[in-house]
This record gives sequence, structure tokens and C-alpha cells, in this order.
Amino acid sequence: MGVESQRVEEFRRTEEPYYLPIGNEVSLFEAAYNARLPVMLKGPTGCGKTRFVEHMSWRLGRTLITVACHEDLTASDLVGKYTLQNDATVWQDGPLTTAVKSGGIAYLDEVVEARKDTTVVIHPLTDDRRVLPIEKKGEIVQAPGDFMLVISYNPGYQSVLKDLKHSTKQRFVAIEFDYPKPELEQTILQEEAGIDADTASKLVKIGEKVRNLRTHGLEEGVSTRLLVYAGQLIAGGVDPVEACESTICKPITDDVEMQRSIIEIIATQF
Amino acid sequence: MTFGPGVGNVGMYVAREMLVSVPEDQRENYLRMVEEISDLKYQLGVEVARQLPRLLAQSDPELVRQYLTQVSIVAKLGWKSGVEVAKQLPDLYEAPDPELAANYVEIIEHATKGTAESAENIELAAELSRLEKEIQEMEPKVKRAQELRTELSAHDRRDEKRKKHAVELATALPPLLARLRPRHRPTYLAQVQRVAGADPEASLEAADTLLDLLNGERVSHEGANEWVNRGLDVLERNKEVGRGYFRLGSKYSLQVLEELREGLALKSVARVLKLYATALSGRDIAIRSTEDMNSLEIYTADHIVLPADMRVFDDERQNFAAYKVATAQGAGRIEFGTYAFDLDEISDTVDAIRTKYWS
Repeated sequence: MGVESQRVEEFRRTEEPYYLPIGNEVSLFEAAYNARLPVMLKGPTGCGKTRFVEHMSWRLGRTLITVACHEDLTASDLVGKYTLQNDATVWQDGPLTTAVKSGGIAYLDEVVEARKDTTVVIHPLTDDRRVLPIEKKGEIVQAPGDFMLVISYNPGYQSVLKDLKHSTKQRFVAIEFDYPKPELEQTILQEEAGIDADTASKLVKIGEKVRNLRTHGLEEGVSTRLLVYAGQLIAGGVDPVEACESTICKPITDDVEMQRSIIEIIATQF
Repeated sequence: MTFGPGVGNVGMYVAREMLVSVPEDQRENYLRMVEEISDLKYQLGVEVARQLPRLLAQSDPELVRQYLTQVSIVAKLGWKSGVEVAKQLPDLYEAPDPELAANYVEIIEHATKGTAESAENIELAAELSRLEKEIQEMEPKVKRAQELRTELSAHDRRDEKRKKHAVELATALPPLLARLRPRHRPTYLAQVQRVAGADPEASLEAADTLLDLLNGERVSHEGANEWVNRGLDVLERNKEVGRGYFRLGSKYSLQVLEELREGLALKSVARVLKLYATALSGRDIAIRSTEDMNSLEIYTADHIVLPADMRVFDDERQNFAAYKVATAQGAGRIEFGTYAFDLDEISDTVDAIRTKYWS
């Protein structure tokens, strides 16, 4: 096994990541994988998109290379670049090239944040060509059959200035996520945070009520991830009200009155 | 030139070179004579100091005395003539005709003294001086008279304005009294009367404001009394600012009101309660004050009506809890549609209930 292969193997999950399906997303993803179609995961922050991809990579037995996209991420960062090593110039594959060559799953998280030139390398990978052009090397890498491109996209964050082009959107199978239904969310909290059903149920109710404040001053409701954090703090012995204030109230808003109303919601449960 | 000893009280110094030219036994005498003549005019002293050494050198005390006398006579009539005479006389004393100097002095004396018209001028000048002195003495009285005139005029204007505002108050008060809740009447009348006594214009503002404050239960009777007390203090310092106070148009006035307010004001927690109700029910709910009740259809829209102040408890936290309970009740009513039924559908509803509970 070469060094490169060893490096890629580090991205293979050996244990099953916990994931509770909220709909038909697992079967849809499997069908897309089998049909060699790229997938776009849409949904609010903290609703389980990344966990879902991790779960699917384990389920399909593929390596998972995740790239957290940001506004300075260029096509070169994804594909690779020449670097100086001693007196020589050496080509270094980027994460996307590594994923393509190894036939794993490449997951571009919040792809809309990346620079526009990244679409140049994404587009040929997402149609029937399934190739990755490496311009600097004058090389084209053909993606193997088991390679899959997955992107995530949070519609709530987008604006006129930052949105995916339709020509990009229409290359993906979209799987839409939202916060789980109360009974499912309660199960997730119990499993992930290790709390009892009653505490989980209360946290779910708080989450549900706080999410009602979207469009009333909150950009997004409290995520399942934050509810899990609250549960973990409570399981660790923190007072439930304090745990909720630190994980549910303060991270999502700086508006003092909004914070006070959320604290009152918390107080109705604990 | 170097300075010699000081002479007299006019700040004159005799040049040392000049003093040296005076015989030593005459120097003291010289300085005394210069001092005496310089009392008439400083410039005269300078000229005499310059000429005297020449006369003293002749060792003729009579001549010196004559010189000083003649110079003094002319100088008393006109100091400039005196300076010129002091300068010319020593030369004239040396003329062959001994009368020449005396004639010269006599001519200059007459020329300086002038005619009878000049004497009349002197009298006129004296009279003018006397009158000017009297006018000067009168000036503070004239100034005070002007001040009194202005003050009386301002009093008249204020009095006129006061009467005008009293008429306005007479017109405005009855409709306000008609709107006043009877139990507030004694307090209201007493407070309006106090302000009207101080400034009828301010009382117009106070009458309006007190009506809202008392009817709206925003202050107790004691609170109204204190609010007026503070306003009268402001009014005493500055009428305009005081009127603003009674109009609730000043920050201080609102601060005092807030200080006197008992319980928790709805407006200070309205947004928190709105968000709370919205979160509970999932509906966009508005919070309204009971003061807005006239303009609202209470049970037909997504709003919760709450009292403008919560005074159930002494403690703000508990008063907020009371608001919260009322808000939660209102949110439940809206969420589950307590009043959302149509009278036309009531028979169906009755049937449904009968079927559910009695079948």
C-alpha cells in the first residue's frame, strides 16, 4: 500500500456513525450513488447533513473527504498545486483530486461560500463525463465508478450576491433536510446526548418553540446539534436552565429581548 | 543725558548736566524753584529748569524772582503761553531797554487772557460743567426708570397672556372633567388648581396630561401630587421648560413619571412578551395595552390585550410573571381558537359536543 493510499484510508469510517433517518434520504442517496449521480444536501445548519454523509460513506464503504468551503477557497485548493520541496517542484493533489483518484466520496460543505472558479472543476465531474481537468498539469482524471460528489447548501444563508447558479444547481440530485419531527428528535437527543426521555422531550419542546421565532428576529431556529449540546451538558451535570441558556439561547442571538424571551421559554420546561 | 535728582511730585527729573551748571550753593534753591513751577505744569517745569541756571549764574536773586513771577502769571492764564514766555524771557532781560521784558509779558498776558467774551465762555463752561455733573448724577435714576418701564410693560403683557390662557382653561376644563373618572376628581381638581395658580398656560397642559395619567391609572393620587410638585419647581425656574414638563414633553417629566409609576410597565416588556407568545403559539401575535382597547376588536385578531401596568405584586419579577401567565393564556386562546367560531356554526358545534360527551 503506497503512502497516498495510506493517507486516503485514514478517511474511511470503521465505526457506524449514529444517524436516524427522517425520511427517504438513505434510499435516495443509495440510488443516486448507484446511478453515479452527484447529490446536493439542502437544509438549515445543524440539522444533520454532515452526519448523514458520514453515515452514508460508512454504509457504502467509501472513504469520505470533506472540504469546508470558505470565501478564499479556489479551484487550485480543490484540485492541487505545485509546491517546493527541497530543490524540486512537486505536485500536490488537492482534496478533490485525491477523492476522485481514490474513488471515494468528496463532500464540499457549504459550497456556495467557495470562489466562483470552483464551478469550473465541479461541472465536468457532475455530468456524464465524470472527469476532473487538472489544468496546471494538462491532465484529465477520469473519475472511477465509485466516486461520488456531494455538496451541501443552506438556502437560508443565500443572498443575491451569494447563491448557486442554476447551471450548477441543476446538475445535482437534491435531498432536502429539515429539523427532525419531535419524536425523532427526542430519540436523537437521547442517543447522542445520553439523556432520559423526559429531558429529551423538554429540550425538543424548547427547540420547537424557539423555531417559531424564525422571521421574528431569529435568522435560524435552534438546531438539533445545539439541542444535543444542551443534552450533553445536562448529562454532564450542568443545571438544565444554565445548559440551555449556554447552548440554545446565547449562540443564536445577541438581541437581549430575544434572549429574555427564549429564557422564558426554557423556564416553562425546566 | 544722565538723570539727576527727582523734582516735585510730577515725576520730573532734572538732568545732571543741567544741575552741574548751577553754582553749588544755589542748587538746593534751584531744585525748589523748579519744583514749585512744575506744580503748575510739567512742561513749564522742564523749560524753567532749562533757563534758570543761566539766570542764577548772574547772582541776581531779584531777577530770578521776577522771572518766576512773570512766568507764573502767564502760565496761570495759559500753560502753553507760560512755557513760551519762560523760554523767551531770559533773552529779553538782556535787552538794553529794561522795560522790554515787562512789556512783553504784559502783551502775552492780555493776549492769553482774552476779551470779555472769553470770560463769558468761562461762565458758560462752568454752567455746562455743572449741568453735566447733574446729568451724570441723574443717569442711574434714568436707567432705573427705564428698567421699571420695561418691567411694568412685561407684567402687563404677562397679565394679558395669563387672562387669555385663563379663558382657554375655562373652555377646555369642562370636557376634560366629563371624561374624568369620578374617583379621581378631587385629586385632579386640586392639582390643576395648583398649576393654574402658578401659570394658566401650563395648567392647560397639566389638565390634559393629568386626565390621561389618572384615568389610565398610570400614577396614584399621591404620585400625581408629587409629579405636580416637581413640575412646579421646574416652572418656577423656567416657564417654557415647565410647560414642556406638564405636556410630558421633557425627559425629566417622563423620568419622574417612571419613578412614580407603581408596578411594571407593559411597554418595557411588550416585545419580550410578544416573542414569548409567538414562540409558544407559532403565530405572529401582537401585544396591546388596555389603553388601546377602544380601537381594538379584542377577540377577533391575533393579539393579546394586557394592562398598561402590572401592579399585582411589589416585586418586578413577580409582576413580570403575572404578565407571562396572562400572555401564555392569551397565546393558548389564539393557538387553539377559543373565540374562533362563527355563530352560524354554533348549532353544529353543539351537536358535535353532545355527540362527543353525551352519546
